[in-house]
Parts: sequence; C-alpha cells; structure tokens
Amino acid sequence: MALKILSVDDSRTIRLIVGKAFKPYDCDMVEASNGEEGLVAAAREKPDLIILDVTMPVMDGVTMLTKLKADDALKAIPVIMLTAESGRENVLHIAKLGVRDYLVKPFKDDQLIEKAGRVIPLQKKPVAAAA
Amino acid sequence: MAADNQQYDELAKQYGFAPVPESVSRLTQLVAQQYADLDEIAAVIQSDPVLTKRLLRVANSHATCEAEYTIDTVEQAIMRYGMGGALILAMGTPLALALQKAFQTMIGLKLEQFPAHQLVGVNGEHMRGSIGFSGKVNGHVYLRMTLQSSRSVAASIFGCKPEEMNNADEIRDAIGELLNIMTGNFKSNLCDSGLDCKLEPPKVGITDDYSTPIERGGGIERIAFRAGSIHPFVEVTANPWHG
Repeated sequence: MALKILSVDDSRTIRLIVGKAFKPYDCDMVEASNGEEGLVAAAREKPDLIILDVTMPVMDGVTMLTKLKADDALKAIPVIMLTAESGRENVLHIAKLGVRDYLVKPFKDDQLIEKAGRVIPLQKKPVAAAA
Repeated sequence: MAADNQQYDELAKQYGFAPVPESVSRLTQLVAQQYADLDEIAAVIQSDPVLTKRLLRVANSHATCEAEYTIDTVEQAIMRYGMGGALILAMGTPLALALQKAFQTMIGLKLEQFPAHQLVGVNGEHMRGSIGFSGKVNGHVYLRMTLQSSRSVAASIFGCKPEEMNNADEIRDAIGELLNIMTGNFKSNLCDSGLDCKLEPPKVGITDDYSTPIERGGGIERIAFRAGSIHPFVEVTANPWHG
C-alpha cells in the first residue's frame, strides 16, 4: 500500500519540487497551502509523513505543528520541517514541539528523500510506474 | 542562554545546517549593539578578504575599478560608510550565499558575484520581487532580473523549456520562492545576532521602475550576479536600530 505524504507550503514551486522528489517512490502526495488547510488535510488523509513549511499566510507552520501535537488523533504523525528559517529561537521552539527532522531551503531532492527515508519505509516504484 | 546555545549547536549538527561564516556572524553581532567599538568591527572585517573587498567597493561606489579607489583602508571605509553600512555589509553576505546556493541546488547554475557597475543592468520591464522586514531593523530585500531570465529560471525549477513556461503565476511563484529562501536565511542571521525582525509576504511583479526607496537614515547595498545570460540583481536596504 502506497505511503501518503502531506506537503504543506504556500509556494506551489516548493510543493512541486517536493512532489517530484517523491515521484520515484511508492507514495501518494497530498498538498495544502497553509497550516489551516494542512490540519484539515492531516485529519482527513491521516498521512504517514508531513513536510511542513514555517512561514505561510492564514496559519503558519509553527501554529499548525502546535495544534497537530495537541490532537491525540494526529500527534503521532511524523513531521519534517522544510523552511528557509534556521534561526536559533525558531529551531529550539520547533524541536521542543516535536519534529523528526529539519531541512533548510534550498535543498536537494536526495537530502529530502534521505531524511524522509529515516522516518518512513520508502520503496521505489517499479521503473515503468515511476516514469 | 549557554544551554540554549549548546542545544542549538547540537540540533544544527543533527539537522545538518550549513553555518554562516564566523566573520559574518561576529560582524552582525557587533554592529547589532549600535555602540560597538569601531576598531573591533574593523578587525573582524579585515580578517575576511571577501568582506574587506565588498566594503571597499561600496565605500568607493563611484569608482569603476580598484585603481580609482580614494578610500583604501577598512577604517576609512567604516568612517565613511558608518555603522549602518557595516550592518548592511554583514546582511548582504547571507543573502548572497543563500541566492548562490539556491541557484546551485534548485537550478544547477553557479552564480558568480560581480560589482554591479561591471554588468549591464536590467532595462525596460523586468521582474521585481521584494520582501520587507521590520523589528529592531527595518528594510527591504529586492531581487530583480529580466523577464527572459525569470522565465528561464522558473523553467529550470519546474523542469521544462523556457518556451513552455507561459503561466505568469508560476513564474512569479518561482521567483518569490527564491526571494523567500534568500531572505529567510538572512533573517535567521539577524535574529541570532539580536536584531529580531519579522518578514512580510513577498511581492513579485513586472515593473519598469528601477528606483529603490531607502529607509530614512539607512543605507543600501547592491549585489550583482551572473550565470550565463541570467543576471540577477539583489538590493538590500536597511535602517538599523529602528524601534
């Protein structure tokens, strides 16, 4: 059964890059463009992994993470932060909330896949299906 | 505080963060104090050939080559350019590094930095992205490039040919994300140095306006890059110690 990955980022460009990174793997991608949509998608889809940006309109990633970790039904979903911000205060606060990893933009596909692969059992798709 | 620093260092190692150059981090911390010792600032800049070169270039902004410099020491440049200028110098480095890394990792292009006057600027309509920041330091970061360059950059990011890149929203989003990445990195350095600030959402659009408003009492630095026919220009304006 395919793994489900939720990408939460206000930039379509980043969601597209994340989707392309996971394309060779047996994953179904779900997208949200802010924290509020992300929480709805997380509750509906129960993803195996969330890739989460910090700075977003409507609801930022830190607020979404706080709400996610306060929800018994969702708090076990692993989260990897994907953001351009690596300031000390932000990182310490986010680490305390509980994330599995943290990747600073810009990033390479293989960096994201390596970090995701440490959290969920990524399996390559058969060659024909990945094309 | 020391425990936080140690914890952050451990997390940065665990997460694989690329550190900001020590000289840049130290310079930002020094000028963030507003009344820091000028000799100490000069010593930090002199320890870094890249910072020294940039400061002298900015202090001699009317010169077209080094032979025309009338200010040729770091001390003279700081006296001329001021503490605010030293801060902008410190701010420009993380911006430049982040943009170069973004181009390298997202597009596979190696951006080289050039003195702005050595490159032909953008003419006519061009793509301009801007992000404001406010807090203990106020200012804006601008990213400009020709329409053709912005189309090529977006096409590379989306993995298609420039002629297939016809969606203006996608081009704007791609340029906006480059700007976000660049500015997010530099904001982290400012905050870590005690200059807490918040970023505004990016604004990206086509314009023929080349003017760059400078914050009252502040300064500006222009950084030009080149990778083949793509010439991105970055400008940072700031008024430190505001608020």
